[in-house]
Amino acid sequence: MQMFPKQEVVAMLLAGGQGSRLGVLTKKLAKPAVPFGGKYRIIDFPLSNCVNSGIEAVGILTQYQPLILNEYIGNGQPWDLDGMHSGVNCLSPYQAIRGADWYSGTANAIYQNINYIERYDPDYVVILSGDHIYKMDYNKMLEYHKEKNAACTIAVIDVPLEEASRFGILNTHEDGEIYEFDEKPEHPKSTNASMGIYIFSWKELRKYLTEDEAKEGSSHDFGKDVLPTMLAAGERMFAYPFEGYWKDVGTIDSLWEANMDLLDPNVTLDLKDIYSRNPMMPPHYVSPDANIQNSLVADGCNVEGDLEFSILFSGVTVGKGATINSSIIMPGAVIEEGACVQFAIVAENTVIGKNAKVGQRPEEVADRDKWGIAVIGENTVIAEGAFVPAKEMIDSESEVAGNEK
Amino acid sequence: MRSNDVLGFIFAGTLDDKIPELAASRTTASIPIGGKYRLIDFVLSNMSNSGINNVGIVAKSNFLSLTDHVGAGSAYDLSKRRSNLTLLTPYGGKTFSNYVETIYNMHGYIEHCREEYVMISQGNVVTNFDYSNLFDFHSKHNADVTVVYKKGVIPAGYDRPITMDIDAGGKVRQIFVKPENTSAEVANFAYGSFLVKKELLMNEIRQALSLNQLDIKRVIQNLTDNYNVYAYENTGYTAFISSINAYFDFNMDLMKKEVRDELFNPKRPIYTKVRDDAPSRYGLDSRVKNSIIAQGCVIDGEVENCVISKGVYVGKGAKLSNCIVMQDSKIGANTNLNYVIIDKDVQIRDGRSLMGFDSYPIYIAKKSVV
Repeated sequence: MQMFPKQEVVAMLLAGGQGSRLGVLTKKLAKPAVPFGGKYRIIDFPLSNCVNSGIEAVGILTQYQPLILNEYIGNGQPWDLDGMHSGVNCLSPYQAIRGADWYSGTANAIYQNINYIERYDPDYVVILSGDHIYKMDYNKMLEYHKEKNAACTIAVIDVPLEEASRFGILNTHEDGEIYEFDEKPEHPKSTNASMGIYIFSWKELRKYLTEDEAKEGSSHDFGKDVLPTMLAAGERMFAYPFEGYWKDVGTIDSLWEANMDLLDPNVTLDLKDIYSRNPMMPPHYVSPDANIQNSLVADGCNVEGDLEFSILFSGVTVGKGATINSSIIMPGAVIEEGACVQFAIVAENTVIGKNAKVGQRPEEVADRDKWGIAVIGENTVIAEGAFVPAKEMIDSESEVAGNEK
Repeated sequence: MRSNDVLGFIFAGTLDDKIPELAASRTTASIPIGGKYRLIDFVLSNMSNSGINNVGIVAKSNFLSLTDHVGAGSAYDLSKRRSNLTLLTPYGGKTFSNYVETIYNMHGYIEHCREEYVMISQGNVVTNFDYSNLFDFHSKHNADVTVVYKKGVIPAGYDRPITMDIDAGGKVRQIFVKPENTSAEVANFAYGSFLVKKELLMNEIRQALSLNQLDIKRVIQNLTDNYNVYAYENTGYTAFISSINAYFDFNMDLMKKEVRDELFNPKRPIYTKVRDDAPSRYGLDSRVKNSIIAQGCVIDGEVENCVISKGVYVGKGAKLSNCIVMQDSKIGANTNLNYVIIDKDVQIRDGRSLMGFDSYPIYIAKKSVV
């Protein structure tokens, strides 16, 4: 095997999941490639965190719909991950002498790529997931890991007690050593929620991955199998407390909220030093008829309508008299004259016809349970005058006819 | 002939003496323009989109910002095994005092390049031009030299402009070097962009030097004596940045949809050095009308008929009309600016007022504090 110059740390980014809770948004797209924040894709956040933390070798484990993700990552140049002997690699399942296997779980995905990791002869491996929005210096966490002489360190964030039962909770001694994993507990004992960010000392991880692979009945998952086994074996495992903005964007609601957080001056997340691939488009144009308040607008847009609490990705067209409120409009979408889009996510290259109405304000819907964010899939046409109610999800590459009058 | 047989050769300092404000600390080609570009992005993108793989840029002085902007050329897809961008600067005590000597001093580079033809272009021209059509025209007419021209009134700033008398077939009968630019009548204006075989160019340059003919315009003028010279019209939108007023007018032209659609044709994109700016943020009290806004801006004030470059901050209660603001400048709260060109990294403190006029925009130099 060819050996590369040693890397102290290798990051492995789990990007193979379908993200089925994002519905039509991930029909043809792996979750980490979902557009976010007006010009980014979700994966830009962990990737930028890696380079900003001095991690130069990143393996991305892909499995579900990898085409767009692979194309987006390319040679890694936008993130400075195109080094001569390091950088980013997309690692998909492959055939080998022993046969061919899909990645059957998060731990199995790493196990199948032990060769990739060992080329760098690392001391530590960072395991990341591709569905969180946050900025973090993994170096500080690594220092903590070294200081504690841990086999595994898990980043945790303090969540409100009433929400703690939605998370994997880590119960620790005073010094941060973990004594119990509590997956979505009914009665949480603490508010330390796991952020899905792990640092392992590679020797230990390698040992446990190999053992787990041989274990019958294991689902080969970090949370369910590898971590509990390590804890039971008495390994030193620590919780690293993180302070700052962190949000799981695995659902339509949380994806919408995290986007809206970018418009909130009280939210601490800033987009400085988050890198992305940049489409080659001119600056955006705002016409004399436009009205823009509290919104984010990317390059290549043409705005002639009204925007409020909304995010326009690159190359979006907003016609005269159209109004967009509390919505996310992804690249290349066209909102025609007089259309009204509220509390909605409109995916790439979709056309909202003249005077069509997409989504509703909460106060327009009597039954609160029936209200939610409306989602229109990519490459869809919503005809002139059509109505898409709140919480509706319209399939991609479809058409919605207008109201017959 | 194919585009990959053509060497692109760009002069970066064209008419820098006519735009002393903007070109004080940079070459003409690296003047920031259109919110996120530098002038040279247009010619470089055109060359790259037309299939030219090898480009040399001649810069005689003040080329730090140019070097920083174009880098190795990767933004234009000109930094690969078989495509290159080379910055040609004075060396070995040789100065670039006139075109004839400059081209001669570059003979090592020009002759070393594997391309058979050379496309000379100027760094002060904004257009979206497909050179490959020109190359087809050149082959079809079996031309020795093909000169690009623009039909119209000659822009202010061009002293001793070159015009051409062209027959119906596109052949140039005669080339004129006008003693002065009266900017009155419509002419076939040649703006320093022509295609020629390298060998022919270097022979003519050597010949001129041996006769102590240092005026390139005279060299070009005499070409019709011995060669098939053809003229190729650029019929597209073209802006010549030959004065501060021309600079201002071009930026304002970007408010026109037809100009934007033509210049920023997605099939022939204009590339530029990438900066990782976030999308621009409009605050609760922002009011923006008829303006071009780049990324990375925070706009809390009122902006009308302006071009706002990347990373600019416009404070609450600020009123900007008919202004061009270059990157990372900060416009304080409750300011009032009309017809002002604000260079990079300028700070306009809270409450300041600056008023220029349509025909005389005020210029605020780079890094000034007002």
